[in-house]
Amino acid sequence: MADPTRLLIVDDNEDILSTFYEFFNSMGYEVKTAVDGFVALKLLRDKSLFFDCLITDLVMPNISGVGLISIVKKEFSHLKIVAITGYGDHPGALASEAQADVVLFKPIDLFKIEDTVASLLSNDNKNPKE
Amino acid sequence: MSTPLIGVSKSMLKIKELINHVANTCLNVLITGETGVGKEVVAECLYLESTRASQNFVKINCAALPETLLESELYGYEKGAFTGAHKKRPGKFQTADKGVLFLDEIGDMPLSLQSKMLHVLQSGEFSPLGSDQDFKTDVWVIAATNHNLEESIRQKTFREDLYYRLNIIKIDIPPLRQRKEDIPSLIEYYFRLYKTEYPNNMGSKPDAETLVRLCNYSWPGNVRQLQNCIKKQMVVNSWEKIFEELTNDHPDGTFENVSDSAPRFSASLLHNVANNDRMSIISEFVDLSTSSEKLFEDISLKKIKKLASDKVEKEVITFVLEKLGWNRSKAAKILKISYKTLLYKMSEFKVSPPVK
Ligand SMILES: Nc1ncnc2c1ncn2[C@@H]1O[C@H](COP(=O)(O)OP(=O)(O)OP(=O)(O)O)[C@@H](O)[C@H]1O
Ligand SMILES: [Mg+2]
Repeated sequence: MADPTRLLIVDDNEDILSTFYEFFNSMGYEVKTAVDGFVALKLLRDKSLFFDCLITDLVMPNISGVGLISIVKKEFSHLKIVAITGYGDHPGALASEAQADVVLFKPIDLFKIEDTVASLLSNDNKNPKE
Repeated sequence: MSTPLIGVSKSMLKIKELINHVANTCLNVLITGETGVGKEVVAECLYLESTRASQNFVKINCAALPETLLESELYGYEKGAFTGAHKKRPGKFQTADKGVLFLDEIGDMPLSLQSKMLHVLQSGEFSPLGSDQDFKTDVWVIAATNHNLEESIRQKTFREDLYYRLNIIKIDIPPLRQRKEDIPSLIEYYFRLYKTEYPNNMGSKPDAETLVRLCNYSWPGNVRQLQNCIKKQMVVNSWEKIFEELTNDHPDGTFENVSDSAPRFSASLLHNVANNDRMSIISEFVDLSTSSEKLFEDISLKKIKKLASDKVEKEVITFVLEKLGWNRSKAAKILKISYKTLLYKMSEFKVSPPVK
């Protein structure tokens, strides 16, 4: 069987974070979580960890989701990025500018997010060499 | 000379770690915190740790200039752009190219200039006043404010879109009263600094009791105010006078009453002071500003033992030699080591008699 997909989920709301964790875990993903972009960046820079996809909230202290996306695009460009925002248009627009693969607006159905992740990663498998 | 970022509190160590992780990203940074907490010090640290450290650090204070002057300072102007523009002049966006542009007091920037700023940050292009040409600019923007910008957005004095564009990385520096553990090391640092700057000043350092009082003061002016107190103490050499002035000149400052507020608190403060001594001893041999993972890699008791004993040995050897007019064979006898060992250690620690 293929290795489970490794997700990094970032949100400064701990309730949302644990809901996401439970959900994706039960769907067979391997999940790590972080409460802001700074904690996430430290996980990403930890050489013993690997991720396939980043799901991140946008408005967060220390390093925002937009900041995290920009850094990931430069330093970990293989990662697929799903941005989720509940703060109106501005952060969402900045996330697109930073080249998130998909930007979703809250409130949003968990199954919808899972669909998005699955199709992002399967697209990737269809053209393994770009 | 730039100021090092002094502090051993949890929040300060976290800020140092954050600086470490983002200094090379060139992403817009917003630094917030009350007056005097060290926003400019943090901005300089970011710059010095970045790959732009060899380029310009250009600062502009958005609160200090009237609107039209601020605009021409930022973007520059062509000859004849307005009455008095006799000569073309480059703006800060141009002088900061490839380097850092520090937008201080950004919360005070007039609304009318905020839209132009937003446009420049979006496009990376600007045009000087009186010019119809667009210039590319590659600046790393670091902004600072002591305003609560979320509140300013509600009051409609700050643009929400500009806020989100600046707020990519947010460094919030807590007031000094929320990180009392930093007070002893700041005092230590500034005493040493002023002592070297003015070696004739006689002001004495606080004793334990005074230190507790200093730690229990609320410091409405934060580090700047503490720094001024130390400067004064160097001259007047009376902590009582300093406390009197704090009470009289700063009606918004308060002393937490240690005896009222449960003895447990003052005990924990003294514990903090002790803990702080510990941190300052450790910091002599280990770089505490790195991330905790890296830190734990660096800490080796064997290595530290060597560094510590070298440091003490060097001082003792120098002390004895000075007392003996640099008579090395006498010194070796007193130190109970062989003459050869003494010579070896002198060269290892670079101990040599003063040149006459
Ligand atoms: N962590 C620190 N270590 C050493 N010096 C500090 C530290 N924080 C502040 N200072 C000193 O305190 C003074 C005030 O700092 P700074 O000018 O950076 O404050 P600020 O937050 O920009 O204040 P303002 O809002 O009034 O502009 C400076 O002289 C600075 O060198
Ligand atoms: Mg300042």
